[in-house]
Parts: sequence; structure tokens; C-alpha cells
Amino acid sequence: MSNRYSNRFAQLEKQGRKAFIPFTMLGWPNRKSCLATVATMIDSGVSALELGMAFSDPVADGPVIQRAASETIASGFTVADAFDLLKEIRSIDQDIPIGLLVYYNMVLRYGITDFFTQAHNCGVDGILIADLPPEAASETYPAARAAAVESIFIVSPLTLPDRLDTIAKYAGGFLYAVSRLGTTGVEERYDRELEALISRVKATSTLPVCVGFGISTAKQAQQMFALGADGAITGSKIVDLVRNTPEHLLTTCLQEYLTTMVRCTYMTSPAAQA
Amino acid sequence: MKSTGFFGGFGGVYVPETLMPALEELEEAFLQAKEDSVFLAKYNDLLHNYAGRPTPLYRAANLSQRWGANIWLKREDLLHGGAHKTNNALGQALLARAMGKTRLIAETGAGQHGVAAAMSGALLGIKTEVYMGEVDMLRQQPNVLRMRLLGAEVHPVTTGGRTLKEAINEALRDWVSSVRTTHYMLGTAAGPHPFPAMVKFFQQIIGCEAREQFSQRCACLPDYVLACIGGGSNAVGIFSGFFNDPQVKLIGVEPAGKGLETEHHGAVLQKGSPGCLHGMKSLLLQDGDGQVLETYSIAAGLDYPSVGPEHAYLQSTGQASYVAATDSEAIGAYVELSRSEGIIPALESAHALAYAKRLSSCAGHGKHILINLSGRGDKDLQQVIDNVQPL
Repeated sequence: MSNRYSNRFAQLEKQGRKAFIPFTMLGWPNRKSCLATVATMIDSGVSALELGMAFSDPVADGPVIQRAASETIASGFTVADAFDLLKEIRSIDQDIPIGLLVYYNMVLRYGITDFFTQAHNCGVDGILIADLPPEAASETYPAARAAAVESIFIVSPLTLPDRLDTIAKYAGGFLYAVSRLGTTGVEERYDRELEALISRVKATSTLPVCVGFGISTAKQAQQMFALGADGAITGSKIVDLVRNTPEHLLTTCLQEYLTTMVRCTYMTSPAAQA
Repeated sequence: MKSTGFFGGFGGVYVPETLMPALEELEEAFLQAKEDSVFLAKYNDLLHNYAGRPTPLYRAANLSQRWGANIWLKREDLLHGGAHKTNNALGQALLARAMGKTRLIAETGAGQHGVAAAMSGALLGIKTEVYMGEVDMLRQQPNVLRMRLLGAEVHPVTTGGRTLKEAINEALRDWVSSVRTTHYMLGTAAGPHPFPAMVKFFQQIIGCEAREQFSQRCACLPDYVLACIGGGSNAVGIFSGFFNDPQVKLIGVEPAGKGLETEHHGAVLQKGSPGCLHGMKSLLLQDGDGQVLETYSIAAGLDYPSVGPEHAYLQSTGQASYVAATDSEAIGAYVELSRSEGIIPALESAHALAYAKRLSSCAGHGKHILINLSGRGDKDLQQVIDNVQPL
């Protein structure tokens, strides 16, 4: 296994900090702009990266990421292009953990072993397959291990202890807890069972727990930290920002947003932010 | 889960983690219900007294004379609601009630499953919402109006090709958010386990009745059993009655659209490759990167880039074979059945009829061809008139 996730989380813990992990779609809105966005993320001091490969039928995603995915596919950006871009991103920063978010059909089509090997060669540390539950994890786990790529899994407020045990058998890197039932997208509320979920996960696994889906502000991230989360993941908000900010302002605007999010990882009580 | 729901290498459960507990709950409820005499009595009572089962087996004498072979029609078009979809919708609605769900969601292509879901929701007093692609809403307008009359809310789906595939995507997304209170009533024998097994269970009455009716009438079995294939529920329903009769040839008819040599078809079993979509491994029309392709058929109910996993399996073992009929062949059969027998078939079912016509000319006189007439065609009238010729 690559040690980038464990190194990074150990380092954060030493600093008394939490993780902030931004997401964007590989190749969106185009290769150059995507690379610039990711470079800004790295410059802003984010803890790790989550990068998505566009799929035609992303059932775990809400409208914002769906639209980015269909635009990426329509632009002709391929899986090979995505791997190529990942390689370039890795060359910017040797230490940052890179997580890849995909749907299973793309992995199957590429060939499971080849996909994981290629991901490793391009500097990927972990792969989350959005529609691969632990029941089917044995299909990819040997290839993931052989390629030294962590298998990242989602846990939801409905995931009970018996399922957590199964997930813990395969999971590496960190556990991706969804803040609520639903698809990705900016939203205020989080599930009433989230705190209980985080406690359950902590009781089952030593892996860090990062919360995503609907997290877009420092205040929300700190709420998650207060519930016991080790990190916060933001996706749709960033895609929204990239879409809606005039190009000449984008770097500044992104930097400002990302810096605010990174800063909040130092102040782990909600009171500190206020 | 108790089982992973594989048919050979096809099937399984490939969904986001949030849906897994709901599928476990559904599998549990289904396994209990199918052994529960009270549940089954209620279901059978509804099938008989509400939906009108058994449906007739009709020998189409005029068509038989024209085509040469003996043509038999299993009249699912006469089932309440106008298609076989009612068998499944009633079963799942009863299950939803047993699980304490207070809301039903469904996807629909041709609108027949949407109508069946809306009827079941109205009957059992469960709020029902249906996702339907915008393209399909236009071409199956009468069914949209029926759903609304029955009290269901119809959500237009505006993403991608705006047909059945996208309707399923949206229904799944809704379900991920609403899974505590909502049952997703999938309309075909596809999707994640337990749907393929469960929908087959509720549709196998078609094959069960047809086999019994046929053997009573003819003291033999049919030589061929034909059904159209979209997701494959009407086909698996009638085929299942003949799985133990190797002498009966089972043939599924896929939509060849504008021709298998063009990009405008939905012939997944003949042109697809192994993949994973909508929670199942099956065959899939896809590109080299695994992006799912847009399909095409004049029949909204067949316009789908994958297929129920059991059909992929039956094809791989040779237990069933799969052919295709084009739009124009289907329209020809639609008109021909209407004029020769006074029966207007759904454009979906007309694909099976169209192949029966072709088969008759080579199978020879005296052969018995049983066709599942899965639905009635009033819904398609405007489309046929617009697309072909003034009648």
C-alpha cells in the first residue's frame, strides 16, 4: 500500500487538525482548467484530493456533478485522458493523497486488474467505486491490493454494525461517511443518525472518518468535526464555483474559498470559528 | 443479503451503500411473502377479482391462415391496466404495504408500468410518484394522462436521452434520499437483486397459465414461445412456464429500431457486451470507455441499453435465443393484427408478432407459435398515425 493516506492523517493528528478534501471532475470543464483548479487546491494546502472520472449514468450524484460529467464525456475526454491528467497532477505534489471516484462499469470495461494497476502508475492512492458495495468487494480487492491502491468505502447513516464489520475488512485510506441519505449536492441539513454513525464507525475501525455530501461551508465542516469526523469532503460547491465564476476571477475566488476551508481544520470547535 | 442473486455471471447487487439496507429489507420481505399463505391469498384474490386473471389464450385463426403456422396469443393485453405490468405492480404494492412503506416510486418507459403502479397505489392508498423521460411522455401521452387521473404524480426526466434509462437513474436517486419511507417499485426483471427474482416471481403466472391452457386445448406443447424484450419481464414471465420443456424453443425479440447495422436500435443481447448498470451485471450497449450508449426504438418500453440478467444468462446457456424486429416490421404487425383479428397490440408486443410472421414462413405449416401479447396498443395509436401513414 502507498502510505500517503496514513502519513497525511498521522501528520494532521499531530498538528491537532482535521482534514479538508476537495473534489472535482477530471477533465472538467477542460483539461487545462481542471489542472489549474487542482493546482490551486494543492497550493491552498488541502489535505487530500478526491477526483472523479465522468460516467454517463452517475446514480449517486446530484444535478451539479451529473452535468459536469455529461459535459466532460461530450467534450471527448476519455478514461485514457483522465489517467494522463492524474499523472500530471501527481507530478505537482509527491505527497498529497489522491483518491479516485468512479462507477463500476468503467472499471469492468477497462479490466479490473488493468484499471487498478494503471491508477497506481498514475499516482492514485485510493479508489472509491460508488456502486460497489462490500458484498461485491471481493471482485476488486485482490487487484487493489496487488496494485497497492486502497479500497475506499462509503458508510451511510443506515449502515448498521454488521455491515460496518464487512466494510472494515476491505476498507483502507479513510471511510467516506455520507452526511445524509441522498445524492451529492449542496444542502444545509444532515441526517439525524449521522452522529450515531460516526460513533459506530469509530467503534469498529481505526480508519479516519471523513464526511461528505452536502458540505459546502466552514461552519458545516466544523459541525462535522464536532460530531467526531476526522475530515470534511466538498464537491458540488467547488464545481458550482468553477462554473459560475468569471475566468479571470476564478483562481482568486477558489483560493479564497479553499483557504477558508483549510483554515477551519485548525479550529476544531464551532465556537472558535464564531 | 441471503443471496447475491446471480444467474451465472449476470445479476448481483451493485448499488451505493445507502441502498443496501433497503435491498436487504426487501429481500427479507419478499422471501417471507412468497411462503406466506395469507399474503399469497390476498395477491391471488387481487389478480383474479381486480385484475381479471386468468387471461385468455386465443388462437388467432385469421392470422394463422395468413401466416401458415398456428398463432396463439396469450392475452396479457386484456389484463386490467392493459399490460402484464399489473401482475408485478400489485405484488410489489402489497409487499410495500407489508414493509410499512408510505410512498411508492416507479420508473416507466411506455407508461404501462407507471399506470400499473398508479393503479396499485390508488387501490392500496399509497402515494405514488412516477419518473418518465420527456421523450416518452410525448410519445405515450395517453398513459401520462391515465397516471395523473389515477392520482399519481408524474415527474418528467430531462437528462440524457430522456427515456427509460434516465427514468431509472432518477428513480434510483429519489430512492437513495427517501429509502426510509419509500418503496421503489421497479417495473421489469432487471436492476439489483432481489428485483430480477422478485419480478419474475410475480410474472411467472403468465407462463404457468399459458402452459396449462395450451396443453388443455392442444394436448401438446407449443413449438415456439415468443416475447418481446425490453427489460425482459413479460418474456421471463412466459418463458418460465416452459423452462422444463426443452423441446419448446424460447425466443426473445429485441428492438432492431432502424436496423441492427445502424446505431439506432436497442438490441442489447445481440449487440451488447458485459457491463454493470442500474445495480446489475448484464449485457450493455456501451462504448470503449464503458459509457452507456443511447438506444433507439419506436417502442418506448423496449428502448433500454441493458436487459434483465436472466436473459443474458439464458442466452449464454442456449436455453433461449434472441432475435430482433425493426420499427417498420413492428408497425406492420401492429396494423396486421388490428385488421385481421380486431386486436390492437402494443408496439412492444408487435415486435414479437413481427418475428412470428417471419418464423411462420420458415417454420412450416402445423407448427404452434405462442406469443405473449404483453400489452394493448391504444397508447400507440397517435404515434403510429404520425409516423407511418394516415389510416
